[in-house]
Amino acid sequence: MMAKASLSRRSVILGLTLSALALGIVPSLAATEIYDSKTRKWVKYDRATARKMFARNNQPPEAFRRQVVKFRTAEKPGTIIIDGNQHFLYLVQPGHQAIRYGIGVGREGFGWAGIVRVGRTAEWPTWTPPAEMVARDPNAAKWASGQPGGPDNPLGARALYLYEGNQDTIYRIHGTPEPWTIGLDVSSGCIRMNNDDIVDLHSRIEVGAKVIVLMQGAALFKGV
Amino acid sequence: MVLRRVLLAAGSLLSLTVSSLAADLVIAMPNWPSGQASANILKLAIAEKFGLDAEVREQGTLLAFVGMETGEVDVVPEVWRPNFDDLVKRYGPEGNKTIVLSQHAVPAWQGLCATSDAAAAGIKDVSDLSDPAKTALLDTDGDGKGEVWIGAETWKSTGIERVRANSYGWAKSVTLVEAEEDVAMAAVDAAVATGRPMVFYCYEPHHVFKLHDVVRLTEPAFDAAKWTIVSQADDPLWISKSSAPVAWGPVEFNIAWSDAFARKHADVAAFLDKVDFKPDEISAMSYALQVDRKAPADYAKEWVEQNKDRIEGWGR
Repeated sequence: MMAKASLSRRSVILGLTLSALALGIVPSLAATEIYDSKTRKWVKYDRATARKMFARNNQPPEAFRRQVVKFRTAEKPGTIIIDGNQHFLYLVQPGHQAIRYGIGVGREGFGWAGIVRVGRTAEWPTWTPPAEMVARDPNAAKWASGQPGGPDNPLGARALYLYEGNQDTIYRIHGTPEPWTIGLDVSSGCIRMNNDDIVDLHSRIEVGAKVIVLMQGAALFKGV
Repeated sequence: MVLRRVLLAAGSLLSLTVSSLAADLVIAMPNWPSGQASANILKLAIAEKFGLDAEVREQGTLLAFVGMETGEVDVVPEVWRPNFDDLVKRYGPEGNKTIVLSQHAVPAWQGLCATSDAAAAGIKDVSDLSDPAKTALLDTDGDGKGEVWIGAETWKSTGIERVRANSYGWAKSVTLVEAEEDVAMAAVDAAVATGRPMVFYCYEPHHVFKLHDVVRLTEPAFDAAKWTIVSQADDPLWISKSSAPVAWGPVEFNIAWSDAFARKHADVAAFLDKVDFKPDEISAMSYALQVDRKAPADYAKEWVEQNKDRIEGWGR
């Protein structure tokens, strides 16, 4: 399950050459880039690329696949750390390791950072679109009173409901019927993972698990 | 930040409801690990030596000082200086004499740290933070500007770090982030795990130095003539009216207790005056609570058992 160098997300620091620094060129750091082993080039990882690559490989790029990584932390095993900027979710393991999953996050809305916990979980959850989505999207309107769980449901196979104390924050970590969106800042959504990964994460966590949302690049927002 | 405020509000409600009426004294406990350990160590040591029951109450330094004046709080385990010099001046021997500081002080340090990836990318001195080409490397939200964590929202040092960033000028080109310490430390963990550079406020003794390879940013040496921090208690706009384009001066922290408590329990006050925690002990406390996940009360119990002679010595 370890990532190979051939198809990993390019680290920003590697992408910045000394000459670029000397010239004062500031590259766009927000864009995700991945190495396409077929064309042997670094390519921008946007929606179109993601769809194309997913059609070819039937899975997200290697960096966003589930893998065990070295992760030194003071957080105890079972804690979830979400790095929205790099599109990774870490589940802390014993021995300074973590299981790293690729995630898709929201592009707009407000960003926040903080500490919450998994308040409850659900298998094949029902999705109820927010009122504003029902108003603007006929597909959502169809499910105004709730779409039953299933393979087409936007919440995917599992949902972890994030609570502040005993109150639901309305933020969720959930699956998706669109696995090609992993690694992207998708137009709407909480934290989305592909269904295999959310099932795996769900099987490993306990209700009450601490969830730390990093302050940077964490663009989460309401609904899915 | 809304989330954080809600959490803080919930925390203060909790502390109100659990406050005990039966305790003989109240020890304020801050929200950083070594202060949590030492508050509990003092509780157990005082119980053992003097048979007094202490309540450990979660409270920041500012409120604890007010509490020492009103009689709500008796002991504060870590008063960081110069961070709280204004409070010491107001309540100490030069002020209204309601608090006493221990003679022994633990030497400490605070400033800015860089992960080894940040240092390798050329961010080694505070002046590098004024170079947008370098600080762009610290960008994590795609706006082209880097982010630097300057501390938790409730810490006095966070306000002073903001003053320093304004005074140096790098606040213009970098976004200053305030968030809980756990969030910032997890961000350091994630940055190190993926080889991304990060710069953040740090203080020592602290477990982060054992956990990660981080380096202190160099800065112009402390100069008392350039360190003009307006008292927070005197002026709510103290941050904009202060200036400090230099490194922190000598940093240390002491135990404090109220004068009223000292008059009631002179023997305990004399004991507190002899408590002499060493920097490596403070660092070990921080590591034990944060990395080894020991509960402050359990850790304190072990510490007290293993340091019977020390505690005996403080009581002489």
